[in-house]
Amino acid sequence: MTIMKNNTKLTKKDVAKANWRWNFFALSSQNYERMQGGGFAHSMSGALEKLYGDDKEGLSKALKRSLTFFNTEPQLGSVIPGITLALEETKANNPDFDESIIGSTKNALMGPFAGIGDSILVGTLNPILLSIGIGLSSRDGSPVGPLVFLVSWLAIVVTMKYWLFNKGYSMGLDAVKLLTNERLKNMITTTLTMVGLIVIGGVASTTVKAPVIWKFTSGKMVINIQQILDKIMPNLLPLGVGLVCYYLVAKRNWGSTKLLLGILAFAAVMVALGIM
Amino acid sequence: MQLWQAVLIGLFAYLGRNQVPWFFGTTGGWYGLGRPLVAGLICGIILGDVKAGVLCGVAVQAIFLGQITPGGAVPSDLNLAAYIGIPLAIASSGSPATAVAFAVPLGALGVGLHNFTMTVQAAFPHRADRCAERGDARGVRRANIMATSVSFAERFLIVTLTCFIGAPFAQGLLNALPKFVLDFLQVGGQLLPALGFAILLKQILSEKWMIFLFIFGWVLTSSFNLTTTALLFIAIALSLIYIMAAYRKNEGASSVVAATPSTSEENDDDYEE
Repeated sequence: MTIMKNNTKLTKKDVAKANWRWNFFALSSQNYERMQGGGFAHSMSGALEKLYGDDKEGLSKALKRSLTFFNTEPQLGSVIPGITLALEETKANNPDFDESIIGSTKNALMGPFAGIGDSILVGTLNPILLSIGIGLSSRDGSPVGPLVFLVSWLAIVVTMKYWLFNKGYSMGLDAVKLLTNERLKNMITTTLTMVGLIVIGGVASTTVKAPVIWKFTSGKMVINIQQILDKIMPNLLPLGVGLVCYYLVAKRNWGSTKLLLGILAFAAVMVALGIM
Repeated sequence: MQLWQAVLIGLFAYLGRNQVPWFFGTTGGWYGLGRPLVAGLICGIILGDVKAGVLCGVAVQAIFLGQITPGGAVPSDLNLAAYIGIPLAIASSGSPATAVAFAVPLGALGVGLHNFTMTVQAAFPHRADRCAERGDARGVRRANIMATSVSFAERFLIVTLTCFIGAPFAQGLLNALPKFVLDFLQVGGQLLPALGFAILLKQILSEKWMIFLFIFGWVLTSSFNLTTTALLFIAIALSLIYIMAAYRKNEGASSVVAATPSTSEENDDDYEE
């Protein structure tokens, strides 16, 4: 046995294959015990096969290493299997490389990337694009809204996932410095939040409705309440409803179920009194 | 509803379910096809009434707008809510308010199903462990792919059967409801989107003053009848002005760090927490 076991390098094609496997199968067997461990191993497996060749024992150890508990936001977090793939390549070609570095790198990165990914992608970008889609379709039910949402979301996120995995592989741990850069993160988040809030405000104004049907009658005089409200500002009452809901959720810590029941109770009272 | 329509709806419900890999993983599935907005279009096409489908999708989506799924925990299963609530609404009355009335309780029911599959699927990593033991990489991949059969059995069967069997019942149920209840559903359905927007606002508001951006967008759209696309460009322009003003200070040094990461190794420890 020689000390230098092998010197196999991964080709671009091998990396792309691992990349697409993560892209598609990251969550395929997600479960409460290992979360995305099965998907992580799936992504690594082809490259590991090539790196270890006939060395079944080494392959077995590497596969077991990749099957451990792993959980992150899989879209932004695709940089982590990218980095891990580079580390696995180093390990396969250099038996002296401390394998615990691989596990500790994964464990160190999954939390922060879950946090950033959930807040930027899932919590902000996805609802903003959905709001735009709602805005495009809420008046006439045209299929444009859902299509614009689906195409723009896929184009942005699939491209980003693919790029991040490759970035992780080529830059290794340096990619982390780039991506967890506070200033860059704050700039992206603030831009998205500001654009999002204005667009969401516009979309909400076309979606939330509170039409008043009650008319104040005194002798011959009939006062149409809705017309008066519209003269002050169009959509005034729905805005009030929206802001009260926000106040209850943000300042009074109402959960979604409580608020849902609250709104329904309000609707029932308004209908019973003949106001709406 | 014809059986083939129910089967197609069940298939799309499966493709748009959390964890299902076939359409760009979670991006195209749960966050794409699984969103009620998209489900509305798909169900509308399958059932032959695109307009009703999209409007139902918009109504259901607005309520669930602020829902995120941190760490695989689902607060409400909007996929089940959409793929059963919307088809039943189209088949019975076509009204968005009905879709909302069906969708909300289904969303809560779906959470139980999600927890069930997340537990059952734990069997598959153990299978993968045995394959890894003998160095069988292909077996590890197969175990990961096979796990999606649990999701298939759960989502496809439940959605297809409920849509197929439930459609006539939904019709009968709506016909039997008194006028007060229908009015109530109508008004409730119009007010409920406020719920989705309120939760979304809480989630993305980072500074208090930003609530005025929401009001700004609201007032602008209702006063000038702007399209969403026009509003989007106004919003981007305003945000860029703010960002340029706010981040201009100390630009020199830190933007270099942002653009070209250093190659030194000594800072690696920062990320090992």
